[in-house]
Amino acid sequence: MAFDPSLLRSQFPILSQQVNSHPLTYLDNAATTQKPACVLKAVHDYYCTSNANVHRGAHFLSDKATNQFEQAREVVQDFINAPLKSHIIWTKGTTESINMVAYGLEHILKQGDEILITSLEHHANLVPWQQLAFRTGARLRVLPLTSAGEWQEEFASYFTNRTRIFAATQVSNAIGTHTPLKEMLLRAKQQGAFTLVDGAQAVAHYPVDVEELDCDFYVFSGHKMYGPTGIGALYGKQHALEVLIPYQTGGEMVLKVAYQATEFNVLPYRLEAGTPNIEGAIGLAAASEFLNKQDRNALLEWEQKLANHVYTRLKKAGGIEIYSPEKHTTLVSFSVPNIHLIDLNGYLDGQGIGIRSGSHCTHPLMEQLGVHGTLRASFACYNTLEEADRFCDALFDAMELLGDE
Amino acid sequence: MSEYLDIKKQLQACRSKEETFKSLVMLSKQLPRLSDDEKVEENKVKGCESAVWLISEEINDSRHFKADSDAKLMRGVLFAILSIVEGKSVADIQSMDIQAELTDLNLSSYLTSSRSNGVLAILEKIIAS
Ligand SMILES: Cc1ncc(COP(=O)(O)O)c(C=O)c1O
Repeated sequence: MAFDPSLLRSQFPILSQQVNSHPLTYLDNAATTQKPACVLKAVHDYYCTSNANVHRGAHFLSDKATNQFEQAREVVQDFINAPLKSHIIWTKGTTESINMVAYGLEHILKQGDEILITSLEHHANLVPWQQLAFRTGARLRVLPLTSAGEWQEEFASYFTNRTRIFAATQVSNAIGTHTPLKEMLLRAKQQGAFTLVDGAQAVAHYPVDVEELDCDFYVFSGHKMYGPTGIGALYGKQHALEVLIPYQTGGEMVLKVAYQATEFNVLPYRLEAGTPNIEGAIGLAAASEFLNKQDRNALLEWEQKLANHVYTRLKKAGGIEIYSPEKHTTLVSFSVPNIHLIDLNGYLDGQGIGIRSGSHCTHPLMEQLGVHGTLRASFACYNTLEEADRFCDALFDAMELLGDE
Repeated sequence: MSEYLDIKKQLQACRSKEETFKSLVMLSKQLPRLSDDEKVEENKVKGCESAVWLISEEINDSRHFKADSDAKLMRGVLFAILSIVEGKSVADIQSMDIQAELTDLNLSSYLTSSRSNGVLAILEKIIAS
C-alpha cells in the first residue's frame, strides 16, 4: 500500500481534537504513540465476542479466547522474525521484560563478574542491572558511547572474559542516537556473555529481525508501537529463556503442584505466571498487523524527514543547543540556553503542542551532556509537515517571549 | 490587597491558556529576585521540576514571603500565590482555600499533579511555614 500521511492520520481518532483552542499537535511519540482504529476495534471486539480466561476452561469462549491469544503470539513472533512462537513471552512491557531477565539470570552471576551496559540507556535498562550487581557482587560497567553513537576501537577493551551480561538499547530514547549494535554484540558474544537488546524505541520505526540481530534477548513495549499500554514482549533464544529462573510463580506456569515440589510448565508458559493481559496481546497483534500493512520504509523515511526538517530549522535559527544527530533519527532533542524547559514547554502546551521536557529517564546521560534535561520532539508516521512547522514557529515565538533579560 | 485584585482582574481576563501564559510571564517581572545567599538548599521547595526557593518570616503576627525560581512561568505563579497569602496571619493562611483562589485565577491547570511543577508542594510549604 502506498504511503499517504493524511490517509494514515485519519485512522487515529484521537488526533482530530482541539487542545487549548488549537489543533492537537502530538509530538511525544517516543513516550507513547496513539492507537489506530484497528487496534481499538480489536480490543473492543475481543470483549464483545470472545472474553474468557485462557488455557483453562473447556468451553466455547475459553477456546475462542485462547485461540486468539495464541494467534496473537504468532503475529508478534512473525513481526520480529522469531523462529518459534514459544520464544515470545508476554510481559507488561520493556521494563518488566528487562526485570524478568535481570532476576532470571541472577543465579549465573558471582562476585567479580561484569555486567556491561552503555551510557545511552533508559533507567529501565540500567537500574535493574545495577541492582542485580548489588545483589550478586558483580560489577556494573558502562561503555561510554557518544551522541554520535559510532563504534570506537578502544571500546573493545570493555568486553572481557568476565562480561557475563551485555545489555544495550538499539536507539536512545533521549537523543535518538543509534548504538553500534553489530560491533557490540559481536564482542559480547566472543566473550560468551548473554546479550539483551532494548528495542523500545526501535519497533515503531524499524523492521526488526531478531534472527539477524542474533541477540539472546530482545525486549519492547506495545504502547510505543501503536499498541495498547500494559503489554509488551520478551523474546529470547531457546537456551537463554531456559536459563531464566521464573521471577514470578503461581498459576498458569506450572504442570504439577504438590506441597513438596512443583513441576514448571514448558516455554513460554513457564515465564507467564497468572492470568495474562489477553486484550493487550490481541491489541499488540493488531498493532503489528497495522504496521505490516504499511510500507515500512516509506514510513521511516517520512518520520526521518520530519525530524530532519525540524533539526534544520532549529539549527538555522541559532541559539539552540541540539543533542540529537542530524540524520537518521525520528526525534530532535534540544535545549535553549537561559530559557527554562518548563517555560518553553508551558508555551507550547498553550498552543496545543505536546512534547516532552525533562531528563527522559536518563539521568546519567543528562549529566554526560551537561544539562538537567532537554526538550524532545518525537515523530510518528501520522505527523505532518505542517505540525513540524507549527512546532518550530511556536518554539521561536516562545524564545522571543521568554528570551529577554 | 488592591495588588491582588489587579492580578485577579488581569488573570481572569485571560481567554486562553496562551493568554494566561503570557500574563504569568508579565507578572513574573514583578517578583523581586532572591539573592544567591537566599537561594540555598534549605529554602528549596522539593518536588518541583524547576528550582523554587521560598522564604518566610513573621513580623507582628503576619507572615511575609519571598520566593524565586529559575523558570519564569513559576515566578509568575509564585507572584500570584504570594499575592494571596502575603501579610496574612498564620491562622488566616491555614483557613484559606488557596487552591480554590488559584482556580478562580484561571490557574487550575497548574495545580494538576501530572505537571509535577510543584505548585502543590509550594502550597504545602506555605501552609507549614
Ligand atoms: C529505550 C527505552 N527503554 C525502556 C523504556 C521503558 O519502557 P516501558 O515504560 O514501556 O516499560 C523506554 C520507554 O520509556 C525506552 O524509551
